[in-house]
Amino acid sequence: MLDRRSALASVTPYKSAQLQLGEARGFSLLQVAGDAKSVAKVAGKLPTRIGVALKSDNRTIMKTGPNQFWFVGADNDDLAGAMREAAVVTPLSHSRTRIFLEGTPARTVLAKSAPLDFHPNVFKPHMFAMTGIHHTPVLVHCVGANRFEIYALRTFALSVFEWLADAALEFTD
Amino acid sequence: MSTFRRLAKGGRIDRTKSVGFTYNGKALTGFAGDTLASALLANGTTLMARSFKYHRPRGVVSAGVEEPNALMTIGGNEPNIPATTVELVEGLQAATQNAWPSVNYDVMAVNSLAAPLFQSGFYYKTFMGPFRKSWMFYEPFIRRAAGLGKIRDEPDASRYDTLHDFCDVLVVGSGPHGLSAAVKAARTGARVTLVEQDSKLGGSLLSEQNREWESWRNNQVNELLTFSDVKIRTRTTAQGLYDDNLVVLQQRHIDHDASKGKPRQTLVLLRAKSIVFATGSLERPLVFSNNDRPGVMLASALRTYLNRYGLAPLQRTVIATNNDSAYFTAFDLAEAGVAVTIADLRREIPSDLLSRAAMLGLGIFPASGVADVEGAKQVKRVQLGGAHSASIDCDVLAMSGGWSPTVHLTSHGGVKPVYDARIAAFVPGAFAASHSAVGAVMGDFDWPAEMGMPKRPYKILPSWVPVAKGRGKAFVDFQSDVTVKDITSAHDEGYVSVEHLKRYATLGMGTDQGKTSNINALAIMANLRELPIEEAGTTTFRPPYTGLAIGAIAGRTIGHHFRPTRLSPLHEVNKAHGATFIEAGLWLRAWYYAWAGNTPETAYVKEMELVRQGVGIADVSTLGKIDVQGPDAAEFLNRVYVNGFAKLPVGRARYGVMLNDDGVVLDDGTTTRISDEQFYLTTTTAQAGEVMSWLEYLLQVHWTELKVHVTSLTDEWGAMAISGPKSRQALQLAFPGADISNENLPYMGCLDVLANGLRVRLLRLSFSGELAYEVHVPADFAGALWEHFLKVAEPLGIKPYGLEALASLRIEKGHVAGLELDHRNTLDDLGLGRMAGKEKAYIGRELRMREAYQAPDRWSLVGIELMEEGAKLRGGAILFSTGDEIKGHGRGYITSVTWSTELKKFIALGLYQGGLKHEGEDIICAYPLKGENVKARIVSPHFIDREGSRLNA
Amino acid sequence: MRIPCPHCGERDVSEFRYGGDATKQRPKHSEGDLKTWHDYYFLFDNPKGPHLEYWQHVLGCRQWFSITRNTATNVIGGEA
Repeated sequence: MLDRRSALASVTPYKSAQLQLGEARGFSLLQVAGDAKSVAKVAGKLPTRIGVALKSDNRTIMKTGPNQFWFVGADNDDLAGAMREAAVVTPLSHSRTRIFLEGTPARTVLAKSAPLDFHPNVFKPHMFAMTGIHHTPVLVHCVGANRFEIYALRTFALSVFEWLADAALEFTD
Repeated sequence: MSTFRRLAKGGRIDRTKSVGFTYNGKALTGFAGDTLASALLANGTTLMARSFKYHRPRGVVSAGVEEPNALMTIGGNEPNIPATTVELVEGLQAATQNAWPSVNYDVMAVNSLAAPLFQSGFYYKTFMGPFRKSWMFYEPFIRRAAGLGKIRDEPDASRYDTLHDFCDVLVVGSGPHGLSAAVKAARTGARVTLVEQDSKLGGSLLSEQNREWESWRNNQVNELLTFSDVKIRTRTTAQGLYDDNLVVLQQRHIDHDASKGKPRQTLVLLRAKSIVFATGSLERPLVFSNNDRPGVMLASALRTYLNRYGLAPLQRTVIATNNDSAYFTAFDLAEAGVAVTIADLRREIPSDLLSRAAMLGLGIFPASGVADVEGAKQVKRVQLGGAHSASIDCDVLAMSGGWSPTVHLTSHGGVKPVYDARIAAFVPGAFAASHSAVGAVMGDFDWPAEMGMPKRPYKILPSWVPVAKGRGKAFVDFQSDVTVKDITSAHDEGYVSVEHLKRYATLGMGTDQGKTSNINALAIMANLRELPIEEAGTTTFRPPYTGLAIGAIAGRTIGHHFRPTRLSPLHEVNKAHGATFIEAGLWLRAWYYAWAGNTPETAYVKEMELVRQGVGIADVSTLGKIDVQGPDAAEFLNRVYVNGFAKLPVGRARYGVMLNDDGVVLDDGTTTRISDEQFYLTTTTAQAGEVMSWLEYLLQVHWTELKVHVTSLTDEWGAMAISGPKSRQALQLAFPGADISNENLPYMGCLDVLANGLRVRLLRLSFSGELAYEVHVPADFAGALWEHFLKVAEPLGIKPYGLEALASLRIEKGHVAGLELDHRNTLDDLGLGRMAGKEKAYIGRELRMREAYQAPDRWSLVGIELMEEGAKLRGGAILFSTGDEIKGHGRGYITSVTWSTELKKFIALGLYQGGLKHEGEDIICAYPLKGENVKARIVSPHFIDREGSRLNA
Repeated sequence: MRIPCPHCGERDVSEFRYGGDATKQRPKHSEGDLKTWHDYYFLFDNPKGPHLEYWQHVLGCRQWFSITRNTATNVIGGEA
């Protein structure tokens, strides 16, 4: 069996008393494109607007385009087969590297990285945004009061991680 | 020579906290709360600089950002910082500049004797001749003699940062009106940002002694602190206003420490829903002879030094004014025990001022001003002119020429300020709906109503020119050393527009951007032209409002973080196998491998031989890969590519070329049909992003009737090429269970195999011209699969080959790549015209038929063989026919060059006028940079295996 | 400059890619002669003021859309 290697296999996670930055491995990502009604027949309830994720069973569903959804599940999720009948299905589990950022200064680190409003009253848990960090496309998902998961393109993941770690430098103990 | 003494009490300095600093290497102390300027004055330093052109002795004029004179070099490497804006911190190093050997004895002061030389346009007139490059010759000398501080060559060791922020209401300025506006906005529940360039909130209130006002200030500040959604940014300058209320703030941090990641300055990109400008106003100097002598300062600045920093003039102070505000300086000085004389240009002086002055025993000369100032390095005596011509001994001369609203930020968006005769100054023009302004910036010089003070009518007698002729220079712009005479001569020479005047006389062009000189100068010009000031116009205010470190603009986007680096999923194994990398766009690609040599020139040849004779493995993960799915996928590709894709069978790949609408080649690549409704499209590395956006544009904007979905898979799949005569054997060793026979996986075939439960896509494609395969695999498995190949095919001698060899092998085969696909060439230029479908429509079909694109003598693709022993072909060489004069642009150029391991000579691809019509003809490849003209021959671009027997083996 | 993405809401201009004039009707695929395509591709007005144009939210949802932007002020919205 061939071993799976992450784009961030060689990095040291960042950790300080107030902030943590590392890789959140072990997920599957399935992009499903198609008419929401047919997708819902297979997947159940779907989020109705871009920007708010829906937690459903063991999956997080994010609407990422007018007729497009991301299903993020456990790394052995096998939704693809069932979904193929209903919509255009593209497995993207390897295309994104998931970086987590957690701690009181996490919002500041993000504000140093993307032109988005990360104020806690504006960017709340379950919300997500597709934006750019260090010139590359990312999806930033607020999964807790001060915890975020950042889906970066695999080939840019190291650069994005290093950028965030540099932004976090001032929060080192 | 002292001018000031520190009072025993009063002010906002903390006399219990001594702060040590150095000035030109000398250890001095000040107090916490001091600026560098106030600490220097307290230490008896009046002369702080030498002027730009004449090296005249200069002292501090202001107490704020408008300071034109007291520019210092801070920390040894940051020049031209006004001492008035530098907060005194322990260990601060300050040094004077533009003077040698010192500001007290500056040898360049002889420039003063040569003054007639330094008039308006001096540089242009004097240094333009006698030969064409004179200016280039003189410039370095001029810059050394006349100029500002020096920068050092080494990198700035400080750290800078960038931060995005948002708010409902931005209040710029924390003076009484700004504080009031911020509190009002905060009470509505709005998210408020209050910006103050000073270290403390309060603006002009900080220069007041009134206890009630101070408690009002404290209450306002304390109330603001109770709101969780109010952000107060002190030491922060609103440097520029841009589209959609983007305000660029420069925040300076006292506790910066690069080693702890703490930035020295942060550029805050603030998007505000609405903006309240409470930027206040700046006092103007008066123009008179020798008005630049150390000890001459703005009346409001003197009041600030007295009330905020506890500094009082030692002897007598003369105050020259044309408006009311300077009287309050006079009163405060008198109460501090300083002898004061007032010269007021006005005949009518408000009675309340007169009676208070009388109470304090101040002498007033109405309808009088300053005729001249005596004292070279410090004011000694003031000669009055006008109704009275007294001569008064003094050490400080304070002046007030009125107040100019700080309209800079309000006008960055393109709103021209308008002249307001009531205050003899410019106020902001029309505001956008989300903008408003309060207080002095609007010409309202009263306190906010809630402070309960009666309104006071503002009365000013505009006065732009000296009241009497003196013997010295009357400066308008202190920093650029521009005098009234300079403006007069510019006018006489026809430079009458204020924009021309500014540039010709270098007026307002200094680091202070004319904050104190602007209005005086254009009023003088208006006078000369006999126009009202509003008709003479104003210059344009542009960001930044004050100087800021270049580092603050760059932020963290420097060095390693200058741009992102894109890494193949095979990056780590490439590194482990001794790859040397090269930047290709944002990608870092394996260039060549250590096994083949230490230099690219030698290594790539060995790597080519490996592929031609055995088997090699190369990382091709950087190829753009796109998933094209949907019932209309075939129709879509049939429209996008010049050649047909509608009938491509499932499991087969096809080379395709796409054009732009204008008929120029956009990209090429191989596309494979995975199922009836699914295709796997590849693009060149360089065009991956462009092609993706283009396909999305077509589907989302124009061809919405097509049911097709496209998704980038560039990051999802890693890819490696297995190339060479032994590649099938290698593949078989890697995937022992798979049927990869020529029948089951023929040239341009596709096969998905399961290897150890892993889905792997085999494409039988060849860039090199050899029997070859591409193996595509989900990216996280790419590294392990690469190692698997190297292990199992080791007996075959498999080794990695890099980008240089990849790019060279394809030249031998005559495959075009990025260097040929340069967005200028047509299908026919590249010899691919026959690919275009005859019966079907495709993008670019019509415009590629334009007459010029079909011209027979277009530069088109040829092969080139070197015909000269010991010489070299070079990329970019200009091609000539043997009979041509070697001159100009020639008949074409070389795009790509390689050593051919098969032909044992240099070969190249190039574009040549008329293309292969000239096959067999001799040409000259000129490379003027090296003085080379080498003989070569036009040949077919397909140097090897023209019949394709290797591919199909 | 901020651009309202019809799908993601108002975002910074740095997330977008400019796509040019949106006032012109692209000839139907397989229709239109050389002149039609020439005029479509090369002839543009260059108005000062409101202008209908294409943008793609390239760092976001990757959707193309058209908006009216005032070329003199960058104000978005209103009639072209």
